[in-house]
Amino acid sequence: MKKYAGVGLTLAVLLVAVLAPWLTPDDPLRADLVQSLRPPGTPGHPLGTDQLGRDLLARVLHGARLALFIGVCTVLLTAVVGGLLGLVAGFVERWPSAVLMRIADVQLSFPFILLAMTINAIVGLGLRNIILSLSAAGWVVYARVVRGEVLSVKQREYVQAAAALGVGRPRLLFRHVLPNVAPSIIVVASLQFSQFIVAEAAISFLGFGVQPPTPAWGSMLSESRDFLYVAWWLAAFPGAALALTALGVNLLGDWLRDRLDPKLRV
Amino acid sequence: MRGLRAALAASLALALLAAAPAGAQDRAKSKEIVIGLGAEPRTMLAVTIVDWTTNTQLEHIYDRLLDRDARTFKPKPMLAESWRIVNDTTWEFKLRRGVKFHNGEPFTAQSVKATIDYALDPASKSHFASAAYWGLVKEVQVVDDYTVRFVTKQPWPNLVDSASLTNSLIMPAKALRELGPQKLAQQPIGTGPFKFVEWKRDERLVLERNPDYWQGPADVARVTFRFIPEFSARMAALLSGEIDIMKDVPPHVVEAVERSGRAKLRATVSSRINYLALVNLKPGPMQDVRVRRALNHAVNVEELITQVLKGRATRMCGPLAPANVDYAPAECYKHDPQRAVALLKEAGVDPAKLQLTLDTPSGRYPLDKDVSLAIAAQLGRLGLKVNVVVNEWGTHLDKIKNRKTGDMFFLGWGPALHGQGTVQPLFLADQTYSSYGNNPVLNEKIRRASTLLDPKARAEAYAELQRLIRDEAPWVFLWQQHDLYGVASHIEWTPRADEKVWMYEAKVVAR
Amino acid sequence: MRAYIASRLAQTALVVFLSLSVVFGMVRLSGDPVLLFMPMDIQAKDVDEFRQRLGFNDPLAVQYARFVAGAARGDFGESLRYQQDAMGLVLERVPATLLLGSTALLLTLVVAVPLGVVSAVRRDSLLDHLGTLATVLGQATPGFWLGLMMIYLFSVQLRWLPTGGRGTLAHLVMPSIVLAAFFAARIARLTRSAVLDVLGEDYVLTARAKGLGEGRVIGKHTLRNSAIPIVTLAGLEAGQLLGGAVITETIFAWPGLGRLTVQALLNRDFPVVLAAVFLISVLYTLINLVVDLLYGWLDPRVRLR
Repeated sequence: MKKYAGVGLTLAVLLVAVLAPWLTPDDPLRADLVQSLRPPGTPGHPLGTDQLGRDLLARVLHGARLALFIGVCTVLLTAVVGGLLGLVAGFVERWPSAVLMRIADVQLSFPFILLAMTINAIVGLGLRNIILSLSAAGWVVYARVVRGEVLSVKQREYVQAAAALGVGRPRLLFRHVLPNVAPSIIVVASLQFSQFIVAEAAISFLGFGVQPPTPAWGSMLSESRDFLYVAWWLAAFPGAALALTALGVNLLGDWLRDRLDPKLRV
Repeated sequence: MRGLRAALAASLALALLAAAPAGAQDRAKSKEIVIGLGAEPRTMLAVTIVDWTTNTQLEHIYDRLLDRDARTFKPKPMLAESWRIVNDTTWEFKLRRGVKFHNGEPFTAQSVKATIDYALDPASKSHFASAAYWGLVKEVQVVDDYTVRFVTKQPWPNLVDSASLTNSLIMPAKALRELGPQKLAQQPIGTGPFKFVEWKRDERLVLERNPDYWQGPADVARVTFRFIPEFSARMAALLSGEIDIMKDVPPHVVEAVERSGRAKLRATVSSRINYLALVNLKPGPMQDVRVRRALNHAVNVEELITQVLKGRATRMCGPLAPANVDYAPAECYKHDPQRAVALLKEAGVDPAKLQLTLDTPSGRYPLDKDVSLAIAAQLGRLGLKVNVVVNEWGTHLDKIKNRKTGDMFFLGWGPALHGQGTVQPLFLADQTYSSYGNNPVLNEKIRRASTLLDPKARAEAYAELQRLIRDEAPWVFLWQQHDLYGVASHIEWTPRADEKVWMYEAKVVAR
Repeated sequence: MRAYIASRLAQTALVVFLSLSVVFGMVRLSGDPVLLFMPMDIQAKDVDEFRQRLGFNDPLAVQYARFVAGAARGDFGESLRYQQDAMGLVLERVPATLLLGSTALLLTLVVAVPLGVVSAVRRDSLLDHLGTLATVLGQATPGFWLGLMMIYLFSVQLRWLPTGGRGTLAHLVMPSIVLAAFFAARIARLTRSAVLDVLGEDYVLTARAKGLGEGRVIGKHTLRNSAIPIVTLAGLEAGQLLGGAVITETIFAWPGLGRLTVQALLNRDFPVVLAAVFLISVLYTLINLVVDLLYGWLDPRVRLR
């Protein structure tokens, strides 16, 4: 059940994102003032139009591209950086481990979303910066999980045996430890993915993220507030798209965890 | 830490015990008005911070030296009964007798002097110490209890305009001296129609009627300002009867307000103006006056007004609006795409290859971002490619100040009630928020106009300036905003163009 | 135990100091906040005079030293916007946030724990499936969207509840539900799996075999043992509630810490931002400390070091 719903939904969103330009002929940025605020079902605009007469369907579909793009970039960035740091810290222990854990403590002494938002408010808004700020706030989880895993993997007999046989440290790390840690990284990544997408939307919603006219779900929702009285569809559809995406990715993540690493708690 | 804990416990208890606010009907009976504003006041002290929201709330507590006529916008008596020019650098005000502050202290020339002295004292960190406010005042002299003189550093014809704004809210001299600004900021004392009751941060400011007000007590017994940042939340609060008056009803929901049966729309043409700056303070196509004129012909202002603002704006053709005392009519640029293209070609610019950047704030002015995107769409019809950059407000200001905007930016200005206040800060190269300058002829004429005391010479000078500026096309001239207020049905109140929202002028009528 | 708490507190102080330094550095690199607080027709030289007076023209090292010296006494300077003690402004907002947070936490526990327990005990029943569906949806629905839709339905359309602000119990309803929704979903799921784990343990089987009533089996043996992961998560979540409050408070104009922080960030009112960062990280780490202590108390096997 989880498997089919999760994989199905995620694939559907992915397809929509990739095919967006072909699924809808409309340009998400093209304004047509005469056609403003048309309700869903208007010919040519199945989901209606916004205050500038832009096609809502086109904007929602292109929003999927943006959301997935941000999600993928952030997950890759955090997985690589956080994963490597965790690997090293777990393997070397002593001071790298201590330093890393202190940095992690500093970060964890502050709610994730507030941290990402603060970074954005300070270094500036925009697509690139939101990816960087989400990554800066999100890598800690990998580092912690991976470090913990490495510490326990190191105690296993085959690693001990390999070390006793005189296998070099880099080889030991990448050949013997990494493959055993990889499933956790994948599971964490899949669970973090939807968190990043929702966080991006929330930050954009508050005005610290992707700026209009770029069709990001969060900023579309933020704009929709001023039109709540006259155009419910502006709030309903981007939000529903966001919720569906998060749902799909969550289910996928759950399924992956059950399959790969049932003990892991994030 | 102990103080913290006590504060926590006390306020937690208060929060839990907070009584239910009265509904709209009870309020009609008890003559109470609740006004929804976007932000709370930044201080309770007069002449400290320049900020419309702050001073609008404060002027229920404090009175101005001079008021403005609601229709002609000319200064008229308030705490001062009359004024005259003694010489080039001296103004004299005769003050009203028998006015008392809320604490019983009499209002005299000492109050005026103490207030202005406070504003000019660096320790007060008052914005009003700046040259654009009271900075040109050298000294305030007390002639007798009811006569006061302002001596200025240079001839300053706009002093009387300044005195008829919230720039001149007067504080009590004795209380200011004995209690000090810190205490007054917690418990403000003025001569105004309402007395301070309480200010709950981020929630509400409550005032009650001053029964001894010198113009007679207000009809309204109690005024509460509630702070609700979002348009949509303010709207919902108005329609559900949580608040009675709100400013800035978005144009597209006007109908919803009228339909609701609970509130009606009250609109006024504001003195606040919106424009699209064509930046000539940095290299680029806007250096050429023909390109700037072409853009004035290319943008269809009427269409923006009808389609985006739903008719809720009044077109302007020059830099000043009729609400400005120095206004003179100017001829509009006609919407004429062919003429625009011709002008561009004349300037050696191929419209199909022209790429422009437009910076806009979002949510600062009515539908600002949407207007900017619509302008880009209109210019797109001529083949111009316009990239719209939406900025957060602070970034927008930074960019303008550091001349880092694109070729165009959207901005509003106001309340713009006298000519100097617009042309000087916006058309001189060395000013913080200007977009245009380095025109020697204009520089000289702007400087000269600001020193003319003779009304006729002043009118002529500003008329000439407006003609010149219109031809120079430093902006795409857009419009005066309309201030749209939602007002509950049981309240009689008419908004004014100078944005004075004053509940002394409101009446509560029981249904 | 006392030594443990002392060392944790020392660590907290270090961590808070470091995060403040980082934020201070970022803030100062991000540019000039003075303009936003000045009227627009002010002259450039007046702006500069203000900047001088506020100390923004001093070398960074001097500013930092001044900041550290002040922060050590709890003095974060004056709010640029309100020209008032920044820490005072922040402290004023704490009760509202605590009220909202604790209501949401209470709501979460009251709804989620029973739901999780029942789902586990009646595994694969209709109730279990409905519960799972609800939790999955609850986790996927972004809080700010839920808030928006609730405002539209309950305030705009039905006019049952106020759109925002604080005052009566009615004002508390929507914000606390929105804040609780996401966490309730997580806790319900966790409770379910924790109870399922324990139900499979030998001592539960033994208890049943002894003929103990089902009520006692669940109540005494199962719940106490599944409490550990639940408390841990609830604690972690209590911290995350602070993050969620940022969004909820903004949507519902709730006069709390989160909304103040957002406003201060938007206004670049950096003394207030720093004071808020300070308080939030202190609160956050203290909550985590309390959770760890609870953890040790619930599970004597865990030795705190």
